Amino acid sequence: MKVVGEILAYTVFAVVVGILSVWPRYELVADDRALISIAFVHAGDRVGECRKLTQEELNALPPNMRKPTECPRERHPLRVELRSGTELLYSDVLLPSGIWSDGKSNVYQRVVVAIGRHDLFVGMNDSGGEQGFDYEQSVTIDVVAGRNVVIRFDERNQRFDIR
Amino acid sequence: MLASIQRAGRAGFEVLRRPLSRAFEHDENPLNHLGALTIYLLWIVLISGIWLLIFFRTSVNGAFESVEYLTNQQWYLGGIMRSLHRYASDAVIITILVHIVKEFVFDRYRRNRWFNWITGIPLIWMIFPLGITGYWLVWDELAQYVAINSAELLDRIPIFTDSMAGNFLSDDLLSDRFFTLMAFLHLIGLPIFLVFGIWLHVFRLNGPRINPPKRMMAATLICMLVLSAVFPAVSHEKANLAMTPQMLKFDWYYLHVYPLVQKWSPGAVWLLLVGISSLIMIAPWLPPARKRPVAVVSLDNCNGCQRCVDDCAFCALQLLPRSDGQSYEHEAVVDEGLCISCGICVGACPTATPFRTRSELVPGIDLPERPAADIRAAIREVGETLDGGQRIMAFGCSGERSVKELRKAGAAVVEVACMGQLPPAFVDFVLSRNHADGVFLLGCEDGNCNYRHGAEWTEQRLARERDPRLRQRVSSDKIACAWQSPWCDSKNALAAYRRFGDTL
Repeated sequence: MKVVGEILAYTVFAVVVGILSVWPRYELVADDRALISIAFVHAGDRVGECRKLTQEELNALPPNMRKPTECPRERHPLRVELRSGTELLYSDVLLPSGIWSDGKSNVYQRVVVAIGRHDLFVGMNDSGGEQGFDYEQSVTIDVVAGRNVVIRFDERNQRFDIR
Repeated sequence: MLASIQRAGRAGFEVLRRPLSRAFEHDENPLNHLGALTIYLLWIVLISGIWLLIFFRTSVNGAFESVEYLTNQQWYLGGIMRSLHRYASDAVIITILVHIVKEFVFDRYRRNRWFNWITGIPLIWMIFPLGITGYWLVWDELAQYVAINSAELLDRIPIFTDSMAGNFLSDDLLSDRFFTLMAFLHLIGLPIFLVFGIWLHVFRLNGPRINPPKRMMAATLICMLVLSAVFPAVSHEKANLAMTPQMLKFDWYYLHVYPLVQKWSPGAVWLLLVGISSLIMIAPWLPPARKRPVAVVSLDNCNGCQRCVDDCAFCALQLLPRSDGQSYEHEAVVDEGLCISCGICVGACPTATPFRTRSELVPGIDLPERPAADIRAAIREVGETLDGGQRIMAFGCSGERSVKELRKAGAAVVEVACMGQLPPAFVDFVLSRNHADGVFLLGCEDGNCNYRHGAEWTEQRLARERDPRLRQRVSSDKIACAWQSPWCDSKNALAAYRRFGDTL
C-alpha cells in the first residue's frame, strides 16, 4: 500500500514539474501586433567650444599640465522622437553616461505596434536645441505580424538605419 | 504578526506533510530531506549536463543545431539527457522553495542559525542565472526572448557603458564568442561558485546530510526519467532576431519575473528582486528575536570527554586545553555565537546523572533555561502524581503542540528543551526509582527535529549504540518512543501513548 502511495506522490511531483515547465503559455505579442525597436549609442555634442588658454593662465598651471586648449567635458543629452504618422510612439531625453556626463547616451526602446502600413519618422537632436532635430529620417514600411523593425543610428554615415 | 504568519505556514505545511507521511516511511519522506534532495537533483543536472556538453557547439548556428541533433537524432540518449537536465533543474526550484518555507515556518532561521539562512540566499542568486543561461544556450525563440530581457535587465545596472540589449537587434550583430561566454558562465563559472556556496551553507553543521536515502535517490531518478521519456523537452523554432516570438511555452520556474520586465520596467523588477532578497536577508534579525541563554560548562564537573562536542549539531562546542589546572587534558568550551540552546550536549554528558545525591546535580555542561536538576525535580514531582493504573511518565520537547495536548489528555509530562537533552540515565532513574512503570518519549522525528539530531541521538543512546548508553538493567519494554513532525496533530501521539499503556 505504501508503494502505491509513493508512486502516486512521485507522479504528482513529476506532473507539477512538467506542467509548470511549459504551461501556461506566454503571449509576448498578439497575432495582429509587431515590434519596433529603436536602439543605438551616440555621444551628444560637447556643451561648449574649446578655448585657447592665455599665456598667464598657462603659467599658472604646473608645467606638466600646460595644455594650450581647454575643452569642457560635458555633453548635451540626446532628444529622440519616434512617430508613426501623427502618433507619438516614443519620445525621451537621454542623459550622457559617466559621472562627468561626458559619455555616450544609450537609446533603447521596444514599442508594440499594430501590423500594417506605418509612416515612420525618427528624429534626434544632439546639440542641446529645444526645437527641431539634427538628424531625422522618414520611411513608409509594411509591418507584418511578429516582425521586429529595428532603428539604429549609423555613426559612420551619420544617419538613421531602419530595417 | 510574524508568529501568526509562521503559525499559518505551519498549518499549510501540515496539509502537505500529512498525505506524504501516509505515503512514505518517515525516513523516506522527501519533506525530511529537502536540502539533500536538492543537492542530489543538482548531481543529476551535472551528469546529464556533461553528456550535453560533449555534443554542444558554442556558435550562433551550432548551438541550436547541436541541441536539435541531441533532441531528435539522438532522442534515446541525448534527448533523454536533455529532458533530465531540464526537469531536474525545475525540480530543484521546488525543493529549494519548500526548504526555505519549511525553515521559516518552523523558526529555524533566527538567532544563532542566521548563518545557514544567509548563506542560502546567494545560492538562490546562483541557481536562477544557471537556469537562465541554460535556456539561453539553446538559441531558439525562447532563448531569444530570454536573451533580450536579460540584457534589458543587465542594462539597468549602471555599470555598463554600452547597451547589451542592442546586441540582440539583428543576427549580424551576434557573434560566436557570445556563446562561448555564455557556455563558460553556465558550465564553469556559476557551477564552481555554486559548489563553494553549498559547502559554505552547511559549513557550520555537524554531520550535514548531503545525500538523501538511496531508495529516495532511485525513486527520484526514475520519476525524472519517466517524465523525460513521456514528455521530452523540445526547442522552439530557431531564434530569428528579425522577428519577435509571439507565443512561448514558458518555464515558470526560472522565467517567472521576465513578463514583469515588459509589464513594469527593468528597474522595477530589480527593485522587486533586491527588495525580496533584502527582506529575506534581514529576516533573522526581525523582531521578536529573543536571545536564549546558551549552554554553560561547569569545569568542576567537566573532564573533557568530547561526547558533547561530537553530539552538538551546530559545531558550537570545541575542546581546548585545560584552563583550571585540573589533571584532565581538555575542557569543553561553548561558542556563544553558535549555540542554539537545544541541550543536546547535556544529553551527551556522562556527568548529567540524576543518581547523584552527595553533591548538587550540576553536570559538566548544562542548559540554564532547563537545567538537569530541574528535570530531576520535575520527575520527582510528576512521579508523585502517578498512582495506580498505568503509571507512565512522558517526556516531550518543550512548546510542541502534541506535548501540550498529551498533557491535556491527562498524561504526566516532563518537558525538555529537545528530546536529545534527556540523558539515558534519567530514563533509568524514573524506572529504577519507581517514579513510573513506563517511560514514553514524544519527540520530533528524524529529519524534522528542530535541533537536527535530537531523535537520532536519543534512539542510538537508548539502543546502547551511542554514548552515554542506557544501562543494561533497564528493560526496553518499559520505554516507548513516538517521533513525529513538529506541529502535527496529536492523534498519533495519543494513540501511541495509550497503546504503550496497554502493553505495560
